[in-house]
Amino acid sequence: MATVELKDLTTRYGDVTALDSVSLSVGEGEFFVVLGPSGAGKTTMLKSVAGLVDTAAGDVLIGGTPMTGVEPYHRDVAMAFESYALYPQRTVFDNLASPLRSGRTGTYSADEQRQRIEAVTTTLGIAHLLRRFPRELSNGQRQRVALGRVLVRPADVYLLDEPLSHLDAKLRAAMRAELKQLGEVSNTTSLYVTHDYQEALALGDRVAVLRAGRLVQVGTPQEVWHTPVDTFVARALGQPEVNLLDAEVADGRLVAAGGALSLPAPAHLDLPGGRARLGVRPRDLRAGPPSGADDLAVRGRVTLAERLGRVTEIAVDVAGTELIAVTDSDVRAREGDVVDLHLPLGDVHVFAAPAHGEPADADTPRLGSAHPRAAATTDARTGA
Amino acid sequence: MAARELMPGQRRFTVGSVTADLLLLLWFVFALFPIAWMFLLSLKTTAEQTTTYFAFTPTLENFATVLTQRGEDLTGVDFLAALGTSVVNCAGAVLVSLLIGIPAAYAAGRWKFRGSEDLMFTLLSFRFAPELMVIVPLFVIYTQVGLFDTKLGMVWVLQLVTMPLVVWILRSYFQDLPADLEQAALVDGYTRVRAFLSVALPLVRPGIAAAALLSFIFAWNNYIFPLILSDANATTMTVAVTRYLGGGGQAYYNLTAAAALLGALPPLVLALTIQRYLVRGLSFGAVKA
Repeated sequence: MATVELKDLTTRYGDVTALDSVSLSVGEGEFFVVLGPSGAGKTTMLKSVAGLVDTAAGDVLIGGTPMTGVEPYHRDVAMAFESYALYPQRTVFDNLASPLRSGRTGTYSADEQRQRIEAVTTTLGIAHLLRRFPRELSNGQRQRVALGRVLVRPADVYLLDEPLSHLDAKLRAAMRAELKQLGEVSNTTSLYVTHDYQEALALGDRVAVLRAGRLVQVGTPQEVWHTPVDTFVARALGQPEVNLLDAEVADGRLVAAGGALSLPAPAHLDLPGGRARLGVRPRDLRAGPPSGADDLAVRGRVTLAERLGRVTEIAVDVAGTELIAVTDSDVRAREGDVVDLHLPLGDVHVFAAPAHGEPADADTPRLGSAHPRAAATTDARTGA
Repeated sequence: MAARELMPGQRRFTVGSVTADLLLLLWFVFALFPIAWMFLLSLKTTAEQTTTYFAFTPTLENFATVLTQRGEDLTGVDFLAALGTSVVNCAGAVLVSLLIGIPAAYAAGRWKFRGSEDLMFTLLSFRFAPELMVIVPLFVIYTQVGLFDTKLGMVWVLQLVTMPLVVWILRSYFQDLPADLEQAALVDGYTRVRAFLSVALPLVRPGIAAAALLSFIFAWNNYIFPLILSDANATTMTVAVTRYLGGGGQAYYNLTAAAALLGALPPLVLALTIQRYLVRGLSFGAVKA
């Protein structure tokens, strides 16, 4: 177990900059999740820590020791590859024994090897597959073998590259719940890469959001969820995506959707040019009339209602602007119905409007919450 | 003739397909005629060897002559010795090429370094440059340094034939191999050399077999190098075969045919022996599709 620190780490593939001056530090035993879309540089970050790619600038420190120029086999890191990277000519048992036989992860007698492999394969539910070859396994099984090859050995750092991405939904949820409780994982500093925001929020002690090789935000799951640093982070978290509405200040009110939606202009925020963008999470919208003065109310016509069991996802047309809401399924909204929706002002995120000349969907920073007091308390609570 | 894959509504026989098949058949007869002729010639007596009709009394006498002392007494050609020399030369050449070419192919397939493409192109140019271009300087050098008419010299010069094949074939195999596999070995705690030997190398075995077989055949068939760079000591099968045609005396076309047929056997046997190693797809299941 050790700390991991990236200092202005830059990695290039030819002319392409995969990681651009990334700095972060991961504490001892921390479970640190890196979230980002494909191509954001997540895998490159893990491989930089493992020493598998050459870094262009900056440094990786493991346990405080600079690692530039240190070969992977001297770094004492274990890695689960997104492509599994199982040795095709060896059985599952021999794949799992590989790190134990290298002599650099400790010395293990044949008995100790078998015990460790049995323990880890039992946990992962693949104990019956030990004699099989990788080609005889399903993708989900291969992924668990790849994970097992990490867990079977002690290491300073575990690097896990989308280790649950190829499991089916049920197994993934189960493994997600189990993963953090595994003794090996909870005792070892882990960097975990995913593009699934739910995994990130559920697993991470802290979450880093990566975009095009740059760190956008690092924080606890609560922080990145409640106070996303910009529209990119807000959009990256949550399914369906956050609603973003262009708004303008008029007569002391912030008005969006052609006047169908308005709220008191947040005096505590500085809105450049009197323009802003409102971010409303579909889950924060509730059906029914507003319940208090601090609520934002909006009325619209349902254009699409998708019943998804416990919840219903509805698309609402508000004076030409589409708003997505997720309501409880006992709200019987059908296509064509007029619905009232409301949410607390404190849940309305105010983002800067794109500057002139910027594309309309350019990512802009978050200015704060629409509610002066709620914003203050939220930001104080998360310490952002 | 392999069955074509038919699209819905397509007919099996069309004017076009039948014409194409007939043309292929014509080419087949044309291309195989020399071999058929050689086979017939090898069964004829010396008296009959220049006749052009197909009716004759076949005999295996020519093969016996070529393989025994009788052949040497008759023509001065020790065919078995030449065959042995060919085996030694080609096996040696392939072995050296594999020893040096496999690591070279791995380096060229895995890493781009300054001049790597130029290096690969230079190797390739050995294949398409005519051997006659270099044979005169080689002859001069070989006679001066004492490599002329030695097996070591032959093994050396055959590198021009075998090394490019080995490197180019195996490079593509190494390129097809996911780099993640060796990287996994590195984080497992193995050095780069051990990752190469225990992970990458076993997975390109089919490629090694293919490269070895192909370069052996090319080396085996090589004629110009042993013709110019060897004499009595290192005469190979390819040169020996032509010497039955004599230098002004009796030309034994039938013995030439028999010797050529015998000379074609070793590569054939080798190909049949190692063809089971030629299967690809060993890397199935290594990474997700």
